[in-house]
Amino acid sequence: MRRRIHCRVPASRPRTERAPRLRAVSDLFVRTGRHPVDGVESLLWRAVSIFRLLSCAYAAVLTLHYAPEYTDPLGGYAVVAAMAVWTLVSIVGYAPGRDAATGRARPAPASPLLLGADLAVALGCLLATRWVVPPGQNPEILPMLWVASAPLAWGVAGGSGAGTVAALALSIGDVFVRDSVTEGTLNLAILILLPGALMGYVAGLATRAEKQSRRAAQLEAATIERERLARAVHDSVLQVLALVQRRGAEIGGPAAELGRLAGEQESALRALVASALLPHTPEGTADLCTALRGFEAPLVTIALPAARIPLPSADCVEVTAAVRAALDNVAKHAGPDTRVWILAEAGKDMVTVTVRDDGPGIAPGRLEQAEAEGRLGIAQSIRMRTARLGGTVSVTAPPGQGTEIELRLPLRAARISDGRRAA
Amino acid sequence: MSADSGGAGLRGRGMSAETGGDPAGRGAPIRVLVVDDHPIWRDAVARDLAAAGFEVRAGIGEGRQAVRVAPGLGCHVAVVDLHLPDLPGPELIRGLLAGSPGLRILVLSASGEQQDVLDAVKAGASGYLLKSASSGELVDAARRTAAGDAVFTPGLAGLVLGEYRRLADRAEPEATDTPQLTERETQVLRLVATGLTYRQIAERLTLSHRTVQNHVQNTLTKLQLHNRVELVRYALDNGLGDAADA
Repeated sequence: MRRRIHCRVPASRPRTERAPRLRAVSDLFVRTGRHPVDGVESLLWRAVSIFRLLSCAYAAVLTLHYAPEYTDPLGGYAVVAAMAVWTLVSIVGYAPGRDAATGRARPAPASPLLLGADLAVALGCLLATRWVVPPGQNPEILPMLWVASAPLAWGVAGGSGAGTVAALALSIGDVFVRDSVTEGTLNLAILILLPGALMGYVAGLATRAEKQSRRAAQLEAATIERERLARAVHDSVLQVLALVQRRGAEIGGPAAELGRLAGEQESALRALVASALLPHTPEGTADLCTALRGFEAPLVTIALPAARIPLPSADCVEVTAAVRAALDNVAKHAGPDTRVWILAEAGKDMVTVTVRDDGPGIAPGRLEQAEAEGRLGIAQSIRMRTARLGGTVSVTAPPGQGTEIELRLPLRAARISDGRRAA
Repeated sequence: MSADSGGAGLRGRGMSAETGGDPAGRGAPIRVLVVDDHPIWRDAVARDLAAAGFEVRAGIGEGRQAVRVAPGLGCHVAVVDLHLPDLPGPELIRGLLAGSPGLRILVLSASGEQQDVLDAVKAGASGYLLKSASSGELVDAARRTAAGDAVFTPGLAGLVLGEYRRLADRAEPEATDTPQLTERETQVLRLVATGLTYRQIAERLTLSHRTVQNHVQNTLTKLQLHNRVELVRYALDNGLGDAADA
């Protein structure tokens, strides 16, 4: 009879393994879109890497074109070669690992060493311009826009602050290359500051959004899990408890006591499970049905509509307290074996809760007499609570059929934020 | 759940013809089918009914199997659980009734899941009992179901009241086919929902026991009829006209 519970969440922390080196570069293009579940951060890293590759290729083409006019053509080729090597190294270095179990990309935090080296290489290639390219010659700096890849990487790794710092460092280097602040230095500063800061901002935003959506997904999974557990309890434990209760009562003696205990647990568990399966009520409202179901017990029977009855939370508490007072009243004045029935009905503009017991009832005139004598008792606390909600209470005791307390509450449209009954 | 839940090995002997007499009063035992995927429950229910003189034709643990074999069993009553692993409650009930139109269905459920119970009753079940009911109540309910009575618990009365309210709230002002309770029916259902027996209700409203039963029965019949009309309308609206037989 044992049910297997399938666990959706892996018990141990998922292992992360780095992608094989050679695959990191081809991954940039081939794997795009193949893993729609890949996190935003790994997508940003992929974007930075692609930018690096393309800007490196562009710088290489320009250098090949202009190198014959350089002071030191060989130096130009060497810088481009260094850029190409670093491009490959950094792509592999920043490449997200893949989760062994799911195949999902998991960005490992970029190491400060790699980030530092990245900025140093970019700065080095930029400064080399001073000795390789004669003043006034194109391009104004050797690595061209490729230098922006370092601020981009810093932005993704450390936010817009880090991106800005890297861009400022490169801008200062650029001033050193040209010996003065010119329109060109300002242009470059802005060209690399903007993407660095922007990338950092976008990365932060995206990571936050991703966290939120992951949290929502976890909540949803938890809800589904709760419902599944509720059904499992319903299908197994409840059945057995009901059976024990039934058989115990039949066998009698000590078994009857066991049966009674099983019955109590069955009622309590059934109420709990039923509330887990109910849809949630809107913020600030509570479901009267869920609240009333809490009263279910072997001697207390609940009759409810299938749909929930949303009330403002405070009103729901008040109604529940009134019903509890009515039950206390029964416990106080009627015998221990008195049974109670609670019926809730919800119309368009009225909620009615009826509490009936099969106790000895009330002798005609006794209620009025008690009230006249100032002994208001529990009935009065029910009246007060109901009156506070603009409702009325009627108490009747048909001969030989126990006592009935009926609470009638107006359901003003404004009190239901549900909107369902607003019309 | 255990793997052998599909067994059909329960046979009861009609031991006393007068306690388990058939609905037509000819003295033959009432034939009953028990559908529950829980073997302990299935046995317990079958034993109680057999001991009370019913003839338990089969105890089945799977919904589809029950629907398949029911027409050949010639039962008067089916006592069914709503939570079978292979078939939702309402479909089981519709399937059973399609195969044997005269069959009466008593839902015996541990369910606190109100909507399931309501759907089962709308699909054609004529009675509902919680599993926590005593064996005496079960036997009585099965006998009354076989006799064609609607067997209501207070919980079911609350659900039916709620359903009529819902239909009334939802209906267009000029809609004429929305089922409505008469004042008397509402009164009777509210008394059932607060635990009065038919006899007590008859006493309070100065009606005959039979009239009270008829009122309760009517509330169910109107709801089931409306449900059938809705199903057919839904089928027609969705181009399933040929498949719908009402």
